[in-house]
Amino acid sequence: MSRVLRLARAGACSLLAGCGAAGGNSGSSFATTWQNDNGQSIANVEQRLRALPLVANARVVVGVNETGLVAVTLDGKAHWTHAVPATSLPVIAGNLVVVAEADQIVALDANTGQKIWSIGNRGLGLRGAGNDGTSTALVLADSRKSLFLAISPTGATLGSARTDTPLGVPAARGGVAFVPWSNQYVSALDMNSGDETGRLLTREQVSRALNFGGHLYFGERGLVRLDQKVRFASTNQASHIGLPKLELPGKPGWIDSGYENSTSDADARTKIRIYAAPAETLTGGVTLGAGTFAASYFRVLFGLDAKNGALTWVRSMPADIVGGAAAAAGFVVCDSAGKVWSLDSAGNDSGSLDLGSKIRRCVTDTGAEPMAEAGAHNSLATQIGQALDQLEPDMAEAERYLVSELGKQSEPQVTKILIDLSSSPRISPELRSEARRLLAQRTNGSEYMLAALERHYDFVSGVLLPPPVGPLADALAASGEVRAAPLLAKHLNDPANSADDVAHAARALVKLASKDEYEDLRTFFALYRATADDEALVAAVVASAEALLRVGGEAGRTVIDRAAHDPLTQNDVRRALPDLLIKAQNLQTAPAAATTSGAPAAAAAAQNEPKASAR
Amino acid sequence: MFEKLAVIGCCLVGSTLAIAAPAAHADKPAAHASLNLDSTKKALESGDETRTLSALDQIELSGDRKAAPLVDALLNRGANSKILLRALGVAGALGQESSSAALAPYVKHRAPDVRRAAAQSLTRTKGPVAVQALRQALRAGDPALRGTAADGLGALGAKDAVPDLFVVLPKEVPEAAGAIGTLCSNEDCKKFVALLGKLPFDVMQSGFLPLLLRTNQEVPDTLKIQLIEELRRLATAKANELLSTALAAFPATGNPKVKAAMDAALHGHSVSGDEP
Repeated sequence: MSRVLRLARAGACSLLAGCGAAGGNSGSSFATTWQNDNGQSIANVEQRLRALPLVANARVVVGVNETGLVAVTLDGKAHWTHAVPATSLPVIAGNLVVVAEADQIVALDANTGQKIWSIGNRGLGLRGAGNDGTSTALVLADSRKSLFLAISPTGATLGSARTDTPLGVPAARGGVAFVPWSNQYVSALDMNSGDETGRLLTREQVSRALNFGGHLYFGERGLVRLDQKVRFASTNQASHIGLPKLELPGKPGWIDSGYENSTSDADARTKIRIYAAPAETLTGGVTLGAGTFAASYFRVLFGLDAKNGALTWVRSMPADIVGGAAAAAGFVVCDSAGKVWSLDSAGNDSGSLDLGSKIRRCVTDTGAEPMAEAGAHNSLATQIGQALDQLEPDMAEAERYLVSELGKQSEPQVTKILIDLSSSPRISPELRSEARRLLAQRTNGSEYMLAALERHYDFVSGVLLPPPVGPLADALAASGEVRAAPLLAKHLNDPANSADDVAHAARALVKLASKDEYEDLRTFFALYRATADDEALVAAVVASAEALLRVGGEAGRTVIDRAAHDPLTQNDVRRALPDLLIKAQNLQTAPAAATTSGAPAAAAAAQNEPKASAR
Repeated sequence: MFEKLAVIGCCLVGSTLAIAAPAAHADKPAAHASLNLDSTKKALESGDETRTLSALDQIELSGDRKAAPLVDALLNRGANSKILLRALGVAGALGQESSSAALAPYVKHRAPDVRRAAAQSLTRTKGPVAVQALRQALRAGDPALRGTAADGLGALGAKDAVPDLFVVLPKEVPEAAGAIGTLCSNEDCKKFVALLGKLPFDVMQSGFLPLLLRTNQEVPDTLKIQLIEELRRLATAKANELLSTALAAFPATGNPKVKAAMDAALHGHSVSGDEP
């Protein structure tokens, strides 16, 4: 590497105006012959910088559209535009917005949009930039070479280094540029000379140096903080933060590889992102801002628990989310319509801004400040219900995730949402089926279930989907809810219900029915004992026979006995009836035996009765 | 085969005469032969498809309304589809109101042909139970059943069903027009006539004919004359045909002014008074 680097440096110096004047690359930057110093050199750099004031990036949102950039500061006091089409995603670096356009790298004042400096791009793309409040660290690169430049506030080149090894996205602090490379190193370069003054060796992928509220972090999948523990990074004992294991719609990424140049164009990945910011805990450790992070999936934003990735809130935005950032607490995201949303850590609106035009992408930085708290908010179940209401049918993956999360919630309101989903023509059959499965397992919200069972298909009233009778029957039977019996009995004889739903209703009635449901049961049995033409309907008829025997007394027994001997009775039904008659006979004699032989028989009989309830 | 002959022999007295006789009229079945109700009952309870169908044939042929409870009992017990369809038809043919209760559940049967047969028979057995069952059928998911129910409600004079008939009329239940034209009164009739031009003429015309021929006070003659004028202005072959049919069938007790208006309209003359 050293030989290549020397050659490369010669080339770089010939390319760079002011290279020699600034002192050139006298140090051994990016040397592959470097030996692990057990964190000594990076510790020295950190110690030197520790006392310096933190320099956060500007609090601004910059959108990219067809004509250039549109921006607004997060305090809403300044809007600006820059009418030159960008060829890279802008980078917020200190108080600058750095962007590639045509053959130039341009730095704009983040608060006004005024051009501060521009330099030729040397035929390379903008990979990244960082700013220490004074100077700017730039990495320009293509697929074959990378160029580090330190730029003064007036646009003069200070230090520089060129290498064939891909360089990552840099950050800067106190006159030192931190440049990741070779997946495991971060070189600390003196911005005035380009010389390497220290090196961090990490044991996990590192391609970006990032500034969160003035603190620097290095990594890609997880982040190592530049603090007193950074010297231990090579033994995985530095201050580190990562995301919990996640199963989110679209498998969103948090930090893209810093070894590729970003473009101003949007793609699907633009809209499927994780927004997470590290923050210091009270004990000096590192956590993700306010214990939450967020993930976007087109127009849906999920709030997630930093420790376990559990869903804590959800929002559905009016348009696709095309960029954003996490704050120390809360989030800023922008949508493709150019609206900027500030959300607190619970996902509530804490303000909004307008970029004034549609945008393809946006970048933002929240500096070191948290978003304002917005106060009370709906329960997660309600939020999920609202989000599902607003999702388009093509958002199936988000819908699936939300329904699955809904099933984990325990509040009764969930039952209502699942009922609505199960009866909704808007969602896919697959998702409706999942909603029904979850509904069948509900153990609360029975009032919602009973209300749903009151509903029947009604062409005149426009109720064109029956309620999810099967899952409701299962759930209500499991809880022994006898108030469901008359409602389920009515559904037996409603042909709008699927045969499978009717079978579940009939099975529930075996447990829940009283003699008040005798007539509905008898009608159902009569209509289908000889016409049942599929498995589910046969099962329903057999279950209705069992219920009739339980509640119908002698009359019920006569009906079933007669059907058992009638050649017209459907064969499968007829085969099942004798066993039911014997079982019923045994149950009938059990209480009598109990009066003479004691409790066990009574207990056996009671086992077949639903729990006591005020009918 | 032998069994079938035996059944005929046991159930029917004077079978040769009965078999040769024409089928009884649907609404007024005439007793062509007396049934042996006991043996008919046994046949209906036999569980034998052939015997049961044969017994039902004989009941229909006999037109003996005393057999209606036997058919009702069969429906109450249930049977296979073939027997059910036959029993539903026979119950309708006997036309006993008491059979409506046995027929009503079958309007909600899962087999479309069974529920449609039940609805048709309810129109013939009549009564409040039949009306209630047909009103429920109007709400069902089966388009053909809704049409049959609408027809039946009109035939049964179910005025309470008019609001529901208005709801289903534009939703592919054209039979509702005929029922509304038969049942409407005053404001409902005006509302119905106002739909001319908004709904296809083919849908509306089946309701206009009964409306024009009604002689009670529920349909104001002024509304009839207004409708006649609107039909004249349509000046289509179908509108003229409708007026011709109405004129030919106009009841003797109808208002002569209405009849004269039809005649005038058919000759191209305005009947509203605001045209020469």
